[in-house]
Amino acid sequence: MQTSDANAATIETTGTSEDVLDRTWQSPPGFPGWFLHVNHRSIGKRFIATAFLFLLIGGVEALVMRLQLSRPGNTLLSPDLYNQFFTMHGTTMMFFFAVPVMEGFAIYLTPLMIGARDMAFPRLNAFGYYVYLIAGVALYISFFLGMAPDAGWFAYVPLSTKEYSPGMRMDVWATMITFIELSALVAAVELIVTILKLRAPGMSLHRMPLFIWAILVVSFMIMFAMPPVMVASLMLAIDRTAGTHFFNVAAGGDALLWQHLFWFFGHPEVYIIFLPAMGMLSAVIITFSRRRVFGYTPLVLALVATGFIGFGLWVHHMYTAGLPQLGSSFFTAASMIIAIPSGTQIFCWIATLWGSRPDFRPPLLFALGFFGIFILGGLTGVMIASVPFDLQVHDTFFIVAHFHYVLIGGAVFPLLGATFYWFPKITGRMMSDRAGHWSFWLAFTGFNLAFFPMHQLGMIGMPRRVYTYIDGLGWNGLNLLATVGAFVFAAGIVVFVLDALISMRSGPIAGRNPWNADTLEWSTSSPPPNYNFREIPVIEGRYALWDATGANPHVVGLRDDRREVLVTTVLDAHPQCISILPGPSPWPLAMAASVSVAFIGMLWSMWWVPVGFALTFVAMIGWHWPRHHVRRPPWEEKERPED
Amino acid sequence: MSANSNPNIIDVSGLSPFNHGSQAPLWWGFIGMIIIESTVIATLIASYLYLKMGSISWPPAGTDAPDLLLPTINTVVLLASSVSMHWADSSIERGQQRQLTYGLIISILLAMVFLAVKAYEYSHLDYDWSTHSYGSIVWGISIFHATHVLSLVLKTVFVLYLELRGYFNRQRRLGVTVNGMYWHFVVAVWVPLYLVLYWSPRIL
Repeated sequence: MQTSDANAATIETTGTSEDVLDRTWQSPPGFPGWFLHVNHRSIGKRFIATAFLFLLIGGVEALVMRLQLSRPGNTLLSPDLYNQFFTMHGTTMMFFFAVPVMEGFAIYLTPLMIGARDMAFPRLNAFGYYVYLIAGVALYISFFLGMAPDAGWFAYVPLSTKEYSPGMRMDVWATMITFIELSALVAAVELIVTILKLRAPGMSLHRMPLFIWAILVVSFMIMFAMPPVMVASLMLAIDRTAGTHFFNVAAGGDALLWQHLFWFFGHPEVYIIFLPAMGMLSAVIITFSRRRVFGYTPLVLALVATGFIGFGLWVHHMYTAGLPQLGSSFFTAASMIIAIPSGTQIFCWIATLWGSRPDFRPPLLFALGFFGIFILGGLTGVMIASVPFDLQVHDTFFIVAHFHYVLIGGAVFPLLGATFYWFPKITGRMMSDRAGHWSFWLAFTGFNLAFFPMHQLGMIGMPRRVYTYIDGLGWNGLNLLATVGAFVFAAGIVVFVLDALISMRSGPIAGRNPWNADTLEWSTSSPPPNYNFREIPVIEGRYALWDATGANPHVVGLRDDRREVLVTTVLDAHPQCISILPGPSPWPLAMAASVSVAFIGMLWSMWWVPVGFALTFVAMIGWHWPRHHVRRPPWEEKERPED
Repeated sequence: MSANSNPNIIDVSGLSPFNHGSQAPLWWGFIGMIIIESTVIATLIASYLYLKMGSISWPPAGTDAPDLLLPTINTVVLLASSVSMHWADSSIERGQQRQLTYGLIISILLAMVFLAVKAYEYSHLDYDWSTHSYGSIVWGISIFHATHVLSLVLKTVFVLYLELRGYFNRQRRLGVTVNGMYWHFVVAVWVPLYLVLYWSPRIL
């Protein structure tokens, strides 16, 4: 406690003002209190922890599938179970791990990086988390009841319609997918408003950290990408339960409509996962090359360009569906164009690292691992962007290899690096460098052993989503190699998770800024106090801590006895007004529970929808009930004495 | 405050906690919600046109093209509710409580007329959502929009209740503003939906 990283406990003794501030921003303790939390750090940590749990579950599913495929004619998994496993693996990783974990980091870090005490709508944050949790738990309950979805993570019709998928399996999938996107949408709105309106004075748009830029672009992408998939999955759900015919060709519906709507979401989804990872990489590379980034403006433009072009690629998932030639040519061109902003970013990072004396600690190692893996995934991406080649490898293991190179290389490696990097800020303790090196090399080697052979397997004709294969096709050796690789990769992840769990309790104390990094979150103690910043700082340059002149400019005048945040202008972050945030509240949970009544009830009867609607309205009234009527009126009293 | 003499310190204690319009984070939050809902509407319209494109006749043989008279009158009713809501909205900016109350009540009544006419119209159709894909998308879009109008009514009743309890005044009117914004949005998106549902089968 005598170190410079004064945490919340030491601050209490230093002055009454901090004391009041601390109590104002405190989250209620204890188990019942857990359900009232609205603080962004609390919610962010929950998102991250829950998402990592889903990563482990999805990873185990992958390992079981790899065991099944390790030799021809294996009988570990029945065909039916295998279908459930690959569907759950894809659904878990895409919807319940990759997007939520990025949201978790964004929710935890954004206010700290922009110098705010919380996010713009704290209760909405909590609501988003409960929606995510309820959807995830409901999906896995269906798995253990033996009715997990089994039509693949993109659930193509007609396979996923009632006729070909009887029972409730795909009902569960369709309703839970609609439901969880709600969580992504509220987080997106929340992040956009927070980034645009709550930045500390001086942090004009062109001084925002690249991570914040990435989150801003991704949040906009979510607002345009998630609604179509919600509409589509809802259409699928009511086709199955209420007898509509959106996808039923016999009654005038259209099966390709599903593919269009799904991939209009599905392709941007890849960038929604990938762009936050780009932001993380920028932070790690700046810190460990110990210099300013090369090409800040091109990097920002590349993020924005990716955000736009990402919406013009969806048809390249549908080349084999028999679309007009002209359409395919257009999407081929667009799919190749997106290599330009990705390439721009990579060259900017290489230029940043070039000639610097990089500090090869685990976060940077994971970033460099990203370069190796992602560039390979990008190259195969350009290959399959061309129609003739894609027709050849469509639905083979080549595609499996490609998107694992893109997603694991492009998102999981940066994410592990970022976790190592921000772990001291979140927990106050350092992870072990030694374990970090081990986990990196195990993961890197294992990953390539597992997925590189799949390119070849696909080229020689092994289709994806088959539960087994016969002997004598020349696939045995490569499959066994892939299985061994998968286990080595898993060992790397296990080392990482164990290191995190151990370091959380007994790692060395980190201090405020263990990496000597440049962004604002490193100026406050680790872990940050309840109120994040004692004084809201005034930003003097693009690299907030490196550019600080020592004059310590800051904001005074925010009250300590209620949750006040400073609202600033969108472009230049000039102080504009004050916003008073709500404190701990039971309504986010009540609202999430009400909405789940509609969504989960829909599995049995449509009549639960109006019930859920009515309950949601009640929760909404409770949520919006003026604080002024129910709690101490701070400033209204003198204006409206009759109240 | 003595700190004011220091050029490195920004004193914000004079800034208002009452923020209006685009200053307020809540206003931006509603813009976000409107963007999301617009994307939903655009997806529904795209799906309607996609299904229409793939059909030989639209509406399918045996189903008549929708009637125009009643829906058009009903559209005018809904548009009128936006006018009364705007009146309510601008009254509170001038601090006119009574006009706000009346404006809210008129808007609620007009929206309820819209819903009643809608219910009448749909209960007299000779097809429903399970008849064919045309029925699915038409009923789907209508129920989606009607649910929004219903939630507008419910929310505005809540705003009206707060108004009658004297919660709003010239300064504290953000709740009225964002409720009005959302009202105008739901009314405005009805216009393209009306054109698609009632005119596109005839002229496209």
